[in-house]
Amino acid sequence: MNRDEWNQALLGMEGAVVQLPGRRFGPFDLAVHAGERIAILGPSGAGKSTLLKLMAGEHAAHAGTVRLDGQPLATRRAAALARRRAVLPQSHGVAFGMPVDLVVALGRIAREPDPAQPAVVAQALAAAQATHLAGRRFDTLSGGEQARVQLARVFAQLWDAHGALLLVDEPLSALDPGLQWALMDALQRFTRERQHALVAVLHDINQALAGFDRLWLLHQGQLQADLPPNAQAVPALERLYGISLRCVVDANADPSGRLAVLPVRAPSPATLATQPMSEAA
Amino acid sequence: MNTAPGSPLLHPATRGWLLALVAALVVATQLGAVQVAPADWWAAFAGDPLSGSAHVLWHLRLPRALLAMTVGAALGLCGALTQGLFRNPLADPGLLGVTSGAACAAALVLTVFAGAQGGVPPAWRAWLLPVAAFIGALAVCLALERMARWLTPGSIAGLLLTGLALNAITMAIVGLCSYLATDEQLRSLTFWTLGSLSAASWGLVGVLATALGVCSWYARRLAQALNALALGEAAAGHVGVDVPRLRAGLVAIVALLSALAVAWCGLIGFIGLMAPHLVRGRAGADQRRVLPLAMAAGALLLLVADTVARTVAVPAEIPVGIFTALIGGPGFLFLLRGVARQQGGHA
Repeated sequence: MNRDEWNQALLGMEGAVVQLPGRRFGPFDLAVHAGERIAILGPSGAGKSTLLKLMAGEHAAHAGTVRLDGQPLATRRAAALARRRAVLPQSHGVAFGMPVDLVVALGRIAREPDPAQPAVVAQALAAAQATHLAGRRFDTLSGGEQARVQLARVFAQLWDAHGALLLVDEPLSALDPGLQWALMDALQRFTRERQHALVAVLHDINQALAGFDRLWLLHQGQLQADLPPNAQAVPALERLYGISLRCVVDANADPSGRLAVLPVRAPSPATLATQPMSEAA
Repeated sequence: MNTAPGSPLLHPATRGWLLALVAALVVATQLGAVQVAPADWWAAFAGDPLSGSAHVLWHLRLPRALLAMTVGAALGLCGALTQGLFRNPLADPGLLGVTSGAACAAALVLTVFAGAQGGVPPAWRAWLLPVAAFIGALAVCLALERMARWLTPGSIAGLLLTGLALNAITMAIVGLCSYLATDEQLRSLTFWTLGSLSAASWGLVGVLATALGVCSWYARRLAQALNALALGEAAAGHVGVDVPRLRAGLVAIVALLSALAVAWCGLIGFIGLMAPHLVRGRAGADQRRVLPLAMAAGALLLLVADTVARTVAVPAEIPVGIFTALIGGPGFLFLLRGVARQQGGHA
């Protein structure tokens, strides 16, 4: 990757390292361009959330730099940053009995005074299929409903931005499959309409294969591969997770010929360990 | 969406609280050993020196009632801000040891360092206690923040237990001070740890009202950021809140107001805990509405408590701190039950 590419990138990481007690992540040399959709995959503890927090500016780069719009994250003020990137976190508790509308409106706090706020809140709720939740208390909602409201909050934050960055950390993993796909569709539509870049930490390989342009495979704090989601990615994914994948192409479901995979149990050290030990003895 | 308070004075909840406050103020000035006539209200404007019941009204009851309202409002605001800062409806400067930190520093000045007071110019001596109390409150606030994050990050129980420990340490120092105190020092110390508004004067009301005015103006500006803090610290940062700056501002307001209240009125507990809770149940959790209403509720609670405390056993006077603790203790248990029920036992 050359310097020009970094300068044009929405977000660029140059030798960025995160140092946590006892663990080191990176160095990462990566660029994200406006409109790109990137899925971060990897086993638990690979550093997916850490990489996302580095991109969000939540973790400072111990070495190297992370730039958004060409400016180092460390030099940008929280409010200025909030107008260019939003983060949908993994868990989303809200203290006190905050009303849903207020939770969504808080996405607009960096734009206050904001005359468009009520209209944007209503539109963002609609885009996240949460209009019916307006007026309720957030802490009385179910997990799926809370996820929709948090999605609406993130939509509100980047509603009138263009080519901004949306970072998403496994927000859907605890939801039922129908809702997962519905919210993923809403997320994809939102980012496509505004040329936002979408970077998502995902657990579901098929969600990554179906809706994303690039896969970042993370293993033990290092980037193992940066691949398009085609058949060539399958062996890398198998190695990443230590499983076998059977390819399924469902032309009816997806005319673009996108790939889907079925995890198949493979003889791995974990499964061997559960077999009877009599032969070894 | 109707959460933005366009004209707070016209909001029915605000109007209700203000009406109740005015009514309570009138009633409070009527109650007491000396009968006050309606004519006494105009005596101050007649130009003659006040005598008899007019003196009682204008120099004793009115400043005292206004002091109760100001201190109550300050405690209510401190409670609401502390709860917002720690994202926890059970937080309160009293429970977390902030006010006892103020008391501890002030007790040290009253007793152990009483001899050193001679070195201070006489004009400044009145400020010795408030300044010491402020330093004590600030120290506990900062210690609490650091320790709760460091020992038990993110844990509500950890925060309250850290506060409990700090409370125990500071109160032990207060105890030590009273052990070392002379009889005369002990009298003022005891009286003061029980909490009382009998120091009321127009000058004191003026000082506290000015501080409260500045602090509440600043708090109002922080209200929306405080709302964002309810999303969690990381998420508040993501939507554009400068969290360290917000936290510093909140700690400064809480330490200043707690210290001023403690320095002149001693330890008055539970107002800060109950006032925001009373408000949040009705008016919702939006801090832009909770902060002013918690001030009104705190003012009303303390005015009623003080009026009862000074009239229930006329001519004797029960220290109001005892009274608020008697009422507030069971109130806190009630609150605990409600919170536990809401959070499914994760309190």
